[in-house]
Amino acid sequence: MPNIISRTCFALTIIGLSFALASCGYNTIPTLQEQAKARWSDVQNQYQRRADLIPNLVSTVQGYAAQEKSVLTGVVEARAKATQIKVDASDLTDPDKIKAFQDAQAQLTGALGRLLAVSENYPELKSNANFMALQSQLEGTENRIAVARRDYIDAVRAFNTALRTLPTIIWAKTAFAGEKPMAEFTANEGAQTPPQVKF
Amino acid sequence: MTASCPYSPLARGGLCFFTSIVVSLCASLTALAAHPPELTGRIVDQADIIPAATRSTIEPKLADLETKSGIQLVVATVNSLDGEEIEPYANELFRSWKLGEKTKNNGVLLLVAPKEKRVRIEVGYGLEGTLTDALSTVIISNAIAPRFKVGDFGGGISRGVDDIISVLTTDASEWQQRPSLRVDDQATRDPLNWLIVAGIIALVTLLIVSPGFRWFFLNVALNILLNSGGSRGGGFSNRGGFSGRGGSSGGGGASGRW
Repeated sequence: MPNIISRTCFALTIIGLSFALASCGYNTIPTLQEQAKARWSDVQNQYQRRADLIPNLVSTVQGYAAQEKSVLTGVVEARAKATQIKVDASDLTDPDKIKAFQDAQAQLTGALGRLLAVSENYPELKSNANFMALQSQLEGTENRIAVARRDYIDAVRAFNTALRTLPTIIWAKTAFAGEKPMAEFTANEGAQTPPQVKF
Repeated sequence: MTASCPYSPLARGGLCFFTSIVVSLCASLTALAAHPPELTGRIVDQADIIPAATRSTIEPKLADLETKSGIQLVVATVNSLDGEEIEPYANELFRSWKLGEKTKNNGVLLLVAPKEKRVRIEVGYGLEGTLTDALSTVIISNAIAPRFKVGDFGGGISRGVDDIISVLTTDASEWQQRPSLRVDDQATRDPLNWLIVAGIIALVTLLIVSPGFRWFFLNVALNILLNSGGSRGGGFSNRGGFSGRGGSSGGGGASGRW
């Protein structure tokens, strides 16, 4: 009989403890980590979306401005390079990988900017409905990338701050001692502003 | 009166002068800093460019759209973008207003900045597939920009709103799904409440039964109160009957100039 009482007491203590732990900030670090990872996958999705638009854009431009070979191949090559580099959620603590990803994408941004700049010289291309739709999609995607990057940076900042401040630092040093701070994007203003398209 | 005051009249005058300077400085600083308008209704005309007649024709359309489809479409004009590009400004404004339902992110913001001659349609996550970037561009360049160019802000906004609504309402399946979604929402909320109740009952029994746990819990509870004191604030104020419903946007839509 007392055995049962002590057992239920034990079980209830466990329940109470888990509640107490949750409100102590034990969950904060994994929650913030998952949020940052989710924001990273948003970033990658938006970059992927941009890469998916490019073949269509290149073939449309080719129809009107085939002589702009160097600019077109520049875009195709930059796209190939950029899509090769994938950063898994587990690699987010490695600043070098993030930097390689960012550099490849920045190169693609530059190549796309040049493509849009030369397309200004072809009035027929500029008034092509398909090209106009692609252009607006590209512009929208660049804007989404900017938003996704900003959200990722905010999420990483929240996670890194939790690793270094009270009360969560207690858990960071004990239960989650293996967790390292995540790498931020180095703010590259040039790559962040979408290419300006004037109508 | 003066006897009870520890400061001499001169010192008090100086103090008064100093505080007035500080106060006026603060006031002018906040006036200079980014001053996004508050969400006072479905039409927020900070720049004062929407004629009363246009306003009264648009407003019922916007309200009608929300009652029929749950979509929150808000028209906003601002005095200035405070040196920012319209894209990040619109996104921040959208997120601070939380347009659209939380679960569906079905909000749309039509933002006009007459000083910078910029206009943007910012689309919530949930409507990106319906009101696409390409369609938003078409609406801006065909319905809005040409009218703005000749100074007809009322006409441009009114046509823009009409076009946005017609794009959004062609997807009829959205309308029918609504009631069922709401029922689901309530059903999932109930078990969670029961869990919390059970947890509280368990806690209270433990507090009564075991002195050791009582000691532990009181220490923990004190800690929690001390740590979370700062983050508890920020109540939700809802003035004027209209407010966002928790929606968010990831930069969908399009912008244009005129």
